[in-house]
Amino acid sequence: MIDLLEQLKHGIRSKTAAETEVLAGRLVTYLPADAVLALHGDLGAGKTTFVRGLARAWNIEEAVTSPTFNLYTIYHGDRQLIHLDAYRLESGADLDALMIEDFLKSPWCFAVEWPERIPDALPEDTWHLYLTINDDQSHQIQLR
Amino acid sequence: MILAIESSCDESALARFDPTRGMAGEWVHSQIDLHKEYGGVVPDLASREHLKNFFPLLEAAGLSAEPGELRQIAVTHGPGLAGCLALGIAFARSLGLAWNLPVVGVNHLRGHAYSPFIDLHQRAPEAYPQAFAELLPHLGLIVSGGNTILFQIDTSQELTVLAETVDDAAGEALDKGAKLLGLPYPGGPQVERIAQNGNAKVYAFPKAIAPRNERRFSFSGLKTSLRYRLEKMSDAELEGALPDICAGYQGAVIDQLVGKTKHLIQAGGYRSLGLSGGVSNNQALRAAMQGLAQRHRMPCLIAQPQHTGDNAAMIAFAAFADPSGLASEPFSIQPALRLAVS
Repeated sequence: MIDLLEQLKHGIRSKTAAETEVLAGRLVTYLPADAVLALHGDLGAGKTTFVRGLARAWNIEEAVTSPTFNLYTIYHGDRQLIHLDAYRLESGADLDALMIEDFLKSPWCFAVEWPERIPDALPEDTWHLYLTINDDQSHQIQLR
Repeated sequence: MILAIESSCDESALARFDPTRGMAGEWVHSQIDLHKEYGGVVPDLASREHLKNFFPLLEAAGLSAEPGELRQIAVTHGPGLAGCLALGIAFARSLGLAWNLPVVGVNHLRGHAYSPFIDLHQRAPEAYPQAFAELLPHLGLIVSGGNTILFQIDTSQELTVLAETVDDAAGEALDKGAKLLGLPYPGGPQVERIAQNGNAKVYAFPKAIAPRNERRFSFSGLKTSLRYRLEKMSDAELEGALPDICAGYQGAVIDQLVGKTKHLIQAGGYRSLGLSGGVSNNQALRAAMQGLAQRHRMPCLIAQPQHTGDNAAMIAFAAFADPSGLASEPFSIQPALRLAVS
């Protein structure tokens, strides 16, 4: 069996939202205890769906909704999951002002949508996932 | 007299509410102008501004030194941005200690749930308990950029959530649609403006992704279907079709909201309908909800515009009208607080 991470580096095609959730669920066993996950991708590429998959894998039962308006949501399950939408942030300084780190409890996973808004705030060991939409409307998820 | 403090996101606000006379004053440090430059809510500005804002607001409210007639302090303890909530709570506690007054925590969403009743109380404070009781059971819809929730308040004043969004909120669906259409953020109100000149029947969008009897809203598919449609259009085509697309897209959002509400009304026994939250200012939604209430011969209570966004008046009012929803000290900051949890 080919390692999931190797497959992800080549890119994995997902035909449905359910498949994307399952894929995210498989990834959690590879993530270090405290992980930052940068989710690159346009509107509708499946970023929130991917985060929902992470949440389900960590036994977070509640609805995982888009944090665009609320900026971030903190979920508590087997891991603490912070779902941040950086779309309306200007820089890493804006992230500091949110004081999220004061609320972190290890093990945590910080999933960031629109990470390109706050490049200076992402640690070097951030996992960068690129979500794109293929011409046939299936989705592509790639680890870079 | 109750003093309420609200700082869940980017508005710092205070309100004074007198249960025997009604809302005695509301003070909002609106940061809208500051934010327009930056295109949205800029939390960097917001969380620091709260600290600066509260003292001038307190002075404006005539409370810089003495508590006067105050008997209680109410503060939003969630949901919201943790840092912003923390500042408001610290401010409330400081005042409580200085003035020796009790501090209660109010659920921001329960504030929205009760906001349509503020006006009912204001018109006749003494008659309010009776008038409110006659409107129960009540079916309410909260629609904002961050929330889409149908709830009921039963005759014993218990609040239950009936349906929530599982992905995007209704306001967010409108904002994201606007973004796909190339309109500046937040584009919901612009979609509404452009839709006025459009025909909702020209472009069909999926009306209800979630079956009407399911207890959930889903708006994420709508955004995807708009994206597909736009991919097939040239810029010139889009320009001509923009009003019709906006009308169709907004219509699909409203149809889902009103359709689910209608389904629940038909299921049973409600005596009033409520509408609150920022998106309740959308005229087409207001009209649709009013029409629905009229057809079912029930009053439709809509929050006044100044009580639809983040505001302290609804926090003060909930501290009075919704005692079972309050958290007493020591309460904690709850950034992800749910509507029905008390």
